Amino acid sequence: MNDPSTHVLMIEDNPGDADLVRLRLVESKAPVDVSCVDRLADGLAFLAMQPPAVVLLDLNLPDSQGAETFRKVLEKAPDVPIIILSGQDDEGLAVRALHQGVQDYLVKGTFTSAGLDRAMRYAVERQALLRSLEMSRKQQLEFKNQFLSHVSHELRTPLTCIHQFVTILLDGLAGEVSAEQRDHLATILKSVNQLGAMVRDLLEASRVEAGKIRVEPHCVSIGDLIRLAVAMTRAAAHQKQVGLEIGVDTRIPFVHGDPDRILEVLINLIDNSIKFTPSGGAVTVQACLAPTDPDFVYVSVADTGCGIDPKAKALIFERLYQDPNSIDNSRKGLGLGLFITKELVTLHGGRIWVASEPGHGSTFSFTLPLYSLGKLLFPVISKDGALREAIVLVKVNLKARSNPPRGNWKEAGRRSLELLQRCVYLDKDVVLPPMTTSRPEQTFLVVASTDLTRAEIMMSRIRGQLEKLPDLKASCELEVSACAVPLPDLAAGPSLEEQVQEVASRVTEMARSALGMERNSTQENEEPAGDPA
Amino acid sequence: MSSPKILIVDDDPDLRQALKLRLRANHYDTVHAVDGYSAIALAYKEHPNLIILDLGLPAGNGFVVLDRLQADDKLSSIPVIVLTARDAQSSEQRALEAGAAAFFQKPADNAELLSVIRATLPKATATALPS
Repeated sequence: MNDPSTHVLMIEDNPGDADLVRLRLVESKAPVDVSCVDRLADGLAFLAMQPPAVVLLDLNLPDSQGAETFRKVLEKAPDVPIIILSGQDDEGLAVRALHQGVQDYLVKGTFTSAGLDRAMRYAVERQALLRSLEMSRKQQLEFKNQFLSHVSHELRTPLTCIHQFVTILLDGLAGEVSAEQRDHLATILKSVNQLGAMVRDLLEASRVEAGKIRVEPHCVSIGDLIRLAVAMTRAAAHQKQVGLEIGVDTRIPFVHGDPDRILEVLINLIDNSIKFTPSGGAVTVQACLAPTDPDFVYVSVADTGCGIDPKAKALIFERLYQDPNSIDNSRKGLGLGLFITKELVTLHGGRIWVASEPGHGSTFSFTLPLYSLGKLLFPVISKDGALREAIVLVKVNLKARSNPPRGNWKEAGRRSLELLQRCVYLDKDVVLPPMTTSRPEQTFLVVASTDLTRAEIMMSRIRGQLEKLPDLKASCELEVSACAVPLPDLAAGPSLEEQVQEVASRVTEMARSALGMERNSTQENEEPAGDPA
Repeated sequence: MSSPKILIVDDDPDLRQALKLRLRANHYDTVHAVDGYSAIALAYKEHPNLIILDLGLPAGNGFVVLDRLQADDKLSSIPVIVLTARDAQSSEQRALEAGAAAFFQKPADNAELLSVIRATLPKATATALPS
């Protein structure tokens, strides 16, 4: 190799093999500097400290065997070229290794010194090429997103201007408007709003693609969200003389999801259905439970519209898909709505699909995970097959000093939650998903696997962090308290699952009183901290 | 007491004009600034009851204006509604942290904007009154 200081790390436990490789390297007269370790753990430590130019890797080491060995090295040092030097001529393993990012696979005893030298040089070149390709791909993506963000920003200013003056004319602020003029202005406004929606979709889709969309799971009522979405789309349905109906099973427990995103999904689907349904038709939004799939709620938006061609069904959620048979053929839209919708549902861990028969309407269905406290608690409050020794429920209460609260109350809650997440140990504590609330009081609950004495440390950390939030201290009173969760009696010999379930229902009980909720809530699905069943 | 006075800060003359027409039709008095610097100067001089602030401004962008307003005892009580073409996802949180009372993305719904102005104003008019 040309670089006088080419540094090679050899991970090889057989001293004879190691010497042979060294000999080959000396013969090739390439100026290399070889470090050799005989265990994978030592190799990984070496990689972390001073990444070499190339790694020569034996697969069967005292502390790791076969494919596992190169997987671990790739994970540790994805940018360092790896050449496997194996005793086995295993073509299958070699191909697998190359697919995962290994640069070359040489069989011991079959290569010459010149061959090894060349393999090393080419491995370094290929790795560098790969890295620069990856970088330029990232740059291009970044550039595209920046461009889209810039374009949509620049489009918005003239759009706003048109919107403003059209509404000024329509509202009669610039003098009387005739009925015909009003009609024309309403058409302009409709088009401007369409344009605005496209700009929004453009940005949203680029964000989805870049993985920049965050889902912040709460404990939410799907019924409430459906009612809200229907209220927000009612005007559009009315205008088109399309009926809009709701059917929600009241027994549905809370859903584990981001209320803003779920609302976006619902509105997208309802808007879409209204768009493809002729006057006199109807759109029905339903939510129900499926006995065969107890962890999810099924939500559907059904219309009596033109239906979807079977061939199009597979493509409909793809980015940039436009329906060629759209009723309003001149206005197809960007073909981003369902793509965004699918991505949002997937981010929640749900599925989305469509059932349709041409001429007989379409039904879009999606699933969302139900909120289960037991499932959330299980990995946190159990360890090595047993319940933790002590469990504490920490309550963090933010009470606004004024009603309605000053500033952005929702945002303050979001920021507090983010800070709270940083105050806990992820493996043994969990911040419960908050309830969406419009009250001037927000309560966050943390279930911590610790005792009351040690909970004090967490509580002072929480107080310290939250008090650092600008504005929060001025606008709210902060109260942090803790109480022990009584653990189930082990004498009866319940299984770990039963114990966790028992703790979950006790936490639910305590959460209910912490949130000031009536014990006998009017509806089953008004439970604060989850589904104890 | 005369009509509440609102300072409109936007570098786009057409948007300033549109907002002025809209607000005057709703019986608000308006004053106008075209950049960050004159926004602060006018806030001192006119003591508006509320400020509607664009973020992308010459001579001190909206965040600079928010900071300056917050840092001044005489001005920090004036509520600010941010009205911007910038993206909510990147700017909303920052604007609210910097002291804005509300955030709207252009084009904003007129009815919604007016109702937030109404909700934000009374507190302001109370504090703006000499004791």
